[in-house]
Amino acid sequence: MNDDYLWDKSGQPDPQIQQLEEILGTLRYQPRPLALPQKRNYFPLLAIAASLLLALLAGGIWLRVRSRDEAPKLQAQVTTPTPEQNTAPKAPEIGSALNPPLLAPKRIHKPRSASSVLPRREREEALMAKEQLMLALRLTTQKLHLVHTKTQPNQIKNQHRVG
Amino acid sequence: MKTLLIAIFLILAPVFAAQAQQDSRIQMTALDHLAAKASQTIDVNIDERLMRLAARVFDDKDEDEREVKKLVANLKGVYVKSFEFETAGQYAAADIEPIRTQLRGPGWTRLVNVTSKKDGILEVYLLFNGEQVGGMAVLHTDDKELTVVNIVGPVDVDKLARLEGQFGIPDLGLGSPKKTKNDDEK
Repeated sequence: MNDDYLWDKSGQPDPQIQQLEEILGTLRYQPRPLALPQKRNYFPLLAIAASLLLALLAGGIWLRVRSRDEAPKLQAQVTTPTPEQNTAPKAPEIGSALNPPLLAPKRIHKPRSASSVLPRREREEALMAKEQLMLALRLTTQKLHLVHTKTQPNQIKNQHRVG
Repeated sequence: MKTLLIAIFLILAPVFAAQAQQDSRIQMTALDHLAAKASQTIDVNIDERLMRLAARVFDDKDEDEREVKKLVANLKGVYVKSFEFETAGQYAAADIEPIRTQLRGPGWTRLVNVTSKKDGILEVYLLFNGEQVGGMAVLHTDDKELTVVNIVGPVDVDKLARLEGQFGIPDLGLGSPKKTKNDDEK
């Protein structure tokens, strides 16, 4: 055996060396361009997420603005007729929901403890809200009462007799 | 992609939930034009913030106020539009249609419908979220009057009806002389 073959591939090769060469030859370095792993493109996903967030933000702002537009009506808007209209004879609509007793509560309770904690401006707002609320409740209870009386006519007649 | 969808769902879920809660709110802006024809208009708009604020000025020492405070404690809003007209026929059925359309929506149930020559048509609607009452609407249409009441949130109708005669809420009880007189005239 000539060692030159192992050194510079000259001379007579050993069959075992040749066999090893054939087996390991498949793993020989083969020049090719470097294949770097491709970077994943997150841009479309980020764009979608950003659009959604913007839409949510816009929706939130819109809802807030809308609720603010509706909220400032702190005082119940009660429009009364003109003096000419007031002097005109009015039909006997005593049962109407908008009769004077409804708009003029029997007694007004002044808040004591809780309201004193509130700042003045907030307290005024709270009192106005309370007045509105009471007006709404009065109107609602009156309507419910009307429903009650209409749905129980026999009871009404009997109670009238007693009264 | 699945993660993104889940994230979107989680972001949007509270928005939809909030929207679902607001479903008992009835939009009444379609009635605004009637204010010009009305001789008297009542427009009440109390949202949740004002409701909370108003609740703070109720006097807990007063029994009546305590009752009202309890009643409105969980409400999200109270909205009223009421118009009274000098003459009949100032509004048409088409004017109320936007309100009725909303009340025909899912969840709303017409509890009572009373029709009388004297007082017109009175309807009471409740919005049910499962077994719970999520809102109430009262629609009163008469020749010379149109009233829409919308209470948003869990309302106790029985308790509300019991408030009559308390805290300045007029007692239109059956012994009321005014009412009796009218009835007699009729």
